[in-house]
Amino acid sequence: MTAASMERDGYNLRLYVAGQTPKSLAALANLKKLCETHLPGRYTIEVIDLMKDPALAQRDQIVAIPTLIRQLPEPLKRIIGDLSNAEKVLVGLDIAPS
Amino acid sequence: MAAKDAIQAARPRNEAEETVEAIHRGSVDAVVVQGPTGPQIIMLQGADAPYHVLVERMSDGALTLDADGSIVYVNSRLCALTGLGAQQLVGRSFASLFAGELPQQRTDDAQSDAQLRRADGSDLPVSVWMRQMAMGGVVATLVTLTDMSIVRRAEEVATAERFARSILEQATDAVVVLALDGRITHASWVAEQLAERAPVGQLFSEVFPLDAQSASQQGTLRRFSRESLDQALATKPFHGVEVALRDARMSGRSFLLSGGPLVNDAKDAVGSIVTLTDITERKRAEEQQTMLVAELNHRVKNILAIVQSVAGQTLRTSPSLPAFNKAFSGRIQAVSIAHDILTQTRWIGIGLNELLTTVLAPYGVGEGRITSDGPPVLLEARLVLPLSMVLHELATNASKYGALSAPLGRVTISWTLRDDRHKLELVWLERGGPMIEAGGARGFGTTLIDRVVRFDLDGEAKLAFEPQGIRCTLIFALTAETTPEQLPGSAVQPD
Repeated sequence: MTAASMERDGYNLRLYVAGQTPKSLAALANLKKLCETHLPGRYTIEVIDLMKDPALAQRDQIVAIPTLIRQLPEPLKRIIGDLSNAEKVLVGLDIAPS
Repeated sequence: MAAKDAIQAARPRNEAEETVEAIHRGSVDAVVVQGPTGPQIIMLQGADAPYHVLVERMSDGALTLDADGSIVYVNSRLCALTGLGAQQLVGRSFASLFAGELPQQRTDDAQSDAQLRRADGSDLPVSVWMRQMAMGGVVATLVTLTDMSIVRRAEEVATAERFARSILEQATDAVVVLALDGRITHASWVAEQLAERAPVGQLFSEVFPLDAQSASQQGTLRRFSRESLDQALATKPFHGVEVALRDARMSGRSFLLSGGPLVNDAKDAVGSIVTLTDITERKRAEEQQTMLVAELNHRVKNILAIVQSVAGQTLRTSPSLPAFNKAFSGRIQAVSIAHDILTQTRWIGIGLNELLTTVLAPYGVGEGRITSDGPPVLLEARLVLPLSMVLHELATNASKYGALSAPLGRVTISWTLRDDRHKLELVWLERGGPMIEAGGARGFGTTLIDRVVRFDLDGEAKLAFEPQGIRCTLIFALTAETTPEQLPGSAVQPD
């Protein structure tokens, strides 16, 4: 995928975690599975550990952990929790179930 | 932009609901709250379980202190380090854990050294890291303790190893350390030079093939096969077995083989230390010393025999005790002068001219009364003593009765080489002395001259009492049939 097509079709996701808490680990695992299933080759995931730098919470106004932010495509969307309900995540990210 | 703003405006309400719902659902395990120093992460119950496991499993001791310095949490490693249970530790003061100085939190986040007091009363060196943290509005201190005894022990072992290595490097003997199987684990620099190939890892017998120096020790070495020799060297003490190395480079060199056990802390033998000391020079010096002592013995005996003989000879021909005394002293003086010459020339020999000058110095050789003439001749050491005594006799006689007893008397000594330079013919001619009557031998030291020339110079002496003075002709061989280094025999009797 080229940078241009990524800009057009790609999902740029940011997951806020707190170290290795069980829900953080679960959220990352669920997200990866979901992306591989529905967005193969069309996504990037940035994991931000707030345990290492709590100040980063201010950037996306995070209040609960884990929280997923969809940066691209716009508009910005957020999903709070461990992403265990795949259907709700797909809806939240505007991804049509395939 | 307007759409985004609308979403942002709508977001807080939705997000608050969503957050509450997520917490209610149990799908989040941490929340971000605004603390005095910025956002803070607050764990919900169970979220820190992995950290607990990690902290419990870590190899450092870890503990948490409250604001008063009381212990509120310890991990299992800290219990092991102190030898106390968690129940005994929680609630105690931090200070009570240590002997001596209390560790302090360092501004550079570095660790500081301290002595941890153990339950059995012993102290354990530890490295302490501390940091204060605000946790949910209260101040706590997190502490880790690293057991430094292992590190120290490793440092000690490394130091000891370096120490031992430097001793090995400096050793002037070949020193090798053998493991119990006879293989070399360490070798000194000298050992590496002696060995046929790199010694470490090899069997001793492969690198240092030995032959015993003496027959009895050959038996000692033969009792062992090659394998059992390695075994024996590695396990049994050896003291001073003289050996040679079966190596062309080391032929003619002697070594002293010694070995003793190498013990560990528990006093168990874990191998042996074997040394090969090069004693070649020592042996050579010992042999030379033995030879010199024997030589000295021989010479002293010879001198005593000479003195005894000269005394007997002088006694038989002396009419009175004062006469004996004078004659004997003179002869012994001649022996002494001859010995001085031999010592100064290191028993190599002396030129005939030089011998004449030295021996005849008391009789005016430098005053023109005694002149000498002849080709250069080097006299072997064995000739020096007898010839000195003969010259002494002739000069004494001349000064008593012959040419040197008269003011105008002279002695001419001349010589020629005969028989292809193998023989010397020396003529002692006196003129200007008192006239000699026919057959006037008059107690002349002829017996001594005759015997000395015959027995010690292996030649002949012809003494002619001419009316104008004595003519003494000595003919003797310059080169001996035997070895030239041989000690001169008795002046009057064959050795």
